[in-house]
Amino acid sequence: MAPVLRVDDLSVSMTSRTGELVPVLENLSFTVDKGRTIALVGESGCGKSMTALAIMRLLPDGFVITGGRVLLDDEDVLTARPRRLRALRGNAMSMVFQEPMTALNPLYSVGDQIAEVLRYHRRLGRADAAEQAVGFLKAVQIPAAEQRAQAYPHQLSGGMRQRVMIAMALACRPKLLIADEPTTALDVTVQAQIFDLLAQLQDETETAIVLITHDLGAVAELADDVAVLYAGRCIETGPAQQLVDRPRHPYTSGLLACVPHLSVGTARPEQWVDLGEIPGMVPSLGARGPDCAFLARCANAGAICRSRPQPPLHDITAGHAVSCWRVAEIAA
Amino acid sequence: MNLVAHILGKLVNAAALLLAVLVLNFCLIHLAPGDPVQVIAGEMGGASAEVVAALRAKYGLDRTLFEQLMTYLHNVAGGDFGYSYYFNEPVLGLILQRLPATLYLAFSSLIAAVLVGTMLGVVSARRPNGLLSHGVTVLSLAGYAAPIFWTGLMLLLLFGSVWPILPVSGMADVVNPKTGFAYLLDVAKHLVLPSLTLALVFIAQYSRLARVNMIDVLSADYIRTARAKGLPETVVIVKHALRNMLIPIVTVVGLQFGNLFAGAVLVETVFSWPGMGRLVFDSILRRDYPTLMAVLFFSAMMVIAANIITDIVYRLIDPRIRAGAR
Amino acid sequence: MSTLDPSLIVAAAPAALPAAKAASPTKAAFRQFLRSPSGVAGAAMLLVLVLGTLFGPLVYPVDPLDIAGLPFTPPSADALLGTDYLGRDILAGLIHGGRATLMVGAVAALITISIGVTVGALSGFFGGWIDSALVKIAEFFQVLPPLLFAMVLVTLFGQKLTTITLAIGAVSWTAAARLTRAEFMRLRDLDFIKASRAAGAGNAHLILRVVLPNALPPIIVSATLAIGVAILFEGGLSFLGLGDPNTMSWGLMIGQNRNYVLDAWWAVTFPGAAIFLAVLAISLVGDGVNDAVNPRLRRR
Repeated sequence: MAPVLRVDDLSVSMTSRTGELVPVLENLSFTVDKGRTIALVGESGCGKSMTALAIMRLLPDGFVITGGRVLLDDEDVLTARPRRLRALRGNAMSMVFQEPMTALNPLYSVGDQIAEVLRYHRRLGRADAAEQAVGFLKAVQIPAAEQRAQAYPHQLSGGMRQRVMIAMALACRPKLLIADEPTTALDVTVQAQIFDLLAQLQDETETAIVLITHDLGAVAELADDVAVLYAGRCIETGPAQQLVDRPRHPYTSGLLACVPHLSVGTARPEQWVDLGEIPGMVPSLGARGPDCAFLARCANAGAICRSRPQPPLHDITAGHAVSCWRVAEIAA
Repeated sequence: MNLVAHILGKLVNAAALLLAVLVLNFCLIHLAPGDPVQVIAGEMGGASAEVVAALRAKYGLDRTLFEQLMTYLHNVAGGDFGYSYYFNEPVLGLILQRLPATLYLAFSSLIAAVLVGTMLGVVSARRPNGLLSHGVTVLSLAGYAAPIFWTGLMLLLLFGSVWPILPVSGMADVVNPKTGFAYLLDVAKHLVLPSLTLALVFIAQYSRLARVNMIDVLSADYIRTARAKGLPETVVIVKHALRNMLIPIVTVVGLQFGNLFAGAVLVETVFSWPGMGRLVFDSILRRDYPTLMAVLFFSAMMVIAANIITDIVYRLIDPRIRAGAR
Repeated sequence: MSTLDPSLIVAAAPAALPAAKAASPTKAAFRQFLRSPSGVAGAAMLLVLVLGTLFGPLVYPVDPLDIAGLPFTPPSADALLGTDYLGRDILAGLIHGGRATLMVGAVAALITISIGVTVGALSGFFGGWIDSALVKIAEFFQVLPPLLFAMVLVTLFGQKLTTITLAIGAVSWTAAARLTRAEFMRLRDLDFIKASRAAGAGNAHLILRVVLPNALPPIIVSATLAIGVAILFEGGLSFLGLGDPNTMSWGLMIGQNRNYVLDAWWAVTFPGAAIFLAVLAISLVGDGVNDAVNPRLRRR
């Protein structure tokens, strides 16, 4: 069975002020099957969100896709004509954004904004769409859904708004849901609820999910697979449990070490309080050469790392690939 | 919500403001150099000695200022804004006769300005560095800097002598008076130049404002959401962007109503449009103070009305204001 | 792993630069202004106009109130820009009139900004009943169309240049007040203001020495633009016949010649163009100043 989403060698660049192309994302590949979840993790600026926006073809001005394919059920999204693209968006693939505070239009009731999707993709009448919208609000566990449908975004809490966004994204039962840091802007307690909700809805709908996050606790709980991005490159990818238990890339280890306690199912870490574990910062855009991007920050860097360009991902076990020269030595 | 209560509150406030305008008028009459009776009668009105004496009695100019103020307010409450000795007519009648023509001019210009300005802004915002965008910038600078009466005179020059396809004076053809539909058409033709002149200033402002707001709104997260939902581009623009973009425009339209009215006065003077502008001009020339004072009062009244309407429109557009009633 | 990578320091340096520049904000703003092409163009235009009105009489010694030739002489060698309905020289009028017009504009703008900033500062700084009262007063003035109000004032108090200047200054201060008030309210609650207050600074000191300097950038921009507005007002009043008949000004020239526009286009076109250029120059300067003092908004 073909995967729901296949991303092949996707590259994205930013057009700089002088007109040069600065790579933001380089040769990213991954697949997601029906009912499965892949998590893209990494620090801010590593290209996670750009991946999501590139798949939806919603990249902001100045960003261009410079190569690769994005196959949604074997259909290339990147070459789809605008009309076809609109038919796919919100219908076959949809997205939940990071900021529920600003992602909803302040001037329309949330019921209307959910119903809108149904009206355009399902050709439902106004009344039917409104009725179904209430149903979806119930499905995302919003109490008093009939009244809440009339509410405007400013009258709802952040968690409620994110539920509305999820209802909107799932209204047409998409094959693929992209959730771009869906809980970052929310309170910790609400974060857990949203993840639980996503997991539960996925069980019901068998939607494939691309979860973008830097919350490794969520990864362990929700994701089947993980791809770790660093400075626009995928440096490690594999099954979630395996990768969390036995990370092979120094950066992945560092990330995991930053999470205070990773006993799955108990209290979720608040933030990466200990980010000091990985010294330095992600190299800025345009300052990325062929060298391993993590070189400057890596405690394990050796002569081989300095003398050669970053290695491609290579499998160490089935489905677990790492991009590191010293992976065999570090393994331990 | 309790829109009615809100509007009632606004009306009470409006009444207070109007009362304040009257008090100001009264103070100005008494602060002005010279005998108040001269002011009330108008310097060149040719008021005779008997009239002056009668005025003294009527306004109780020998009594205390407070009593005089009460008399003044009492008169105004009864619709008596004084008598224009130059026009030989009560001031109220003079103004009411000319008000429709001014409103006609002001509103046609306002509607044109909002429509054209918003459209230019919206279209140019799609390409912030396109030709149209630069055009809007130049237009807004030029429209802001050109004195409105001068723009009017230049148009008058152009259509009066160089390219005489449009009437440049008055509101209707007086040589060959028309009736029925032909009359309306004639008035519309006469309206073109004054209305264009007045609208240009505001088109310049609104297009710039609309452009900036639209660029802002188009980069908002909810527009990205709308696109992620697969909505047609027209729906994204018209439903999701336009309404948000209009909020600041409505505010500015409301704030500038006074300028619109003052602009109308200048434009009317250029094109001999028979509204308040002409009346103002003649009143200044004849030192007809009662008429001028009443014009100030009525223009304040219209600004207040415009503010209330703006407020209601604002509430209709933006649910955040509606719910957050003070 | 505690040593800092030198490349990181280099990468961090550009971010630190603006902070270093901020040591002399005026100089930095001036440099920024020079980088704005429209601002420099506006400043150059304005300079030409001001120098023209100051030194023009030396180069072109014609009295603007004298009859220089036949009425309605078109632009020619005798009268470069023609003569008006009385036969007065238009170019001489422009040169001498510019002085009055620009002066009225500058002084009226100064009055406008002084009233506006005072009202706005008191209102925004103290809040409470002072704010409510001042906002009510501003609301009242906002209801009166500024040009019409100025017109009534000038009609009642006399057509003299001083009266005209005062009237223009007195009617259009509400925008500046609104702006200053908002700025003061925003700044009032910032930590460094609170710190000054906690350190025992008096209200007068806080307003004048602490808050006002920080509120200045938008005020300077609005002051610049106010000059343009005042010039337009002077023109409007003169056009309605309320100019000072004894002092030549651009507005007065248009007002007096407007009835003959079809006979002598030059008599209104040139003074109008002068006003247009002056206001244009000022608003370009205003834009440049805005870019210079509000770096955040530069992209607009």
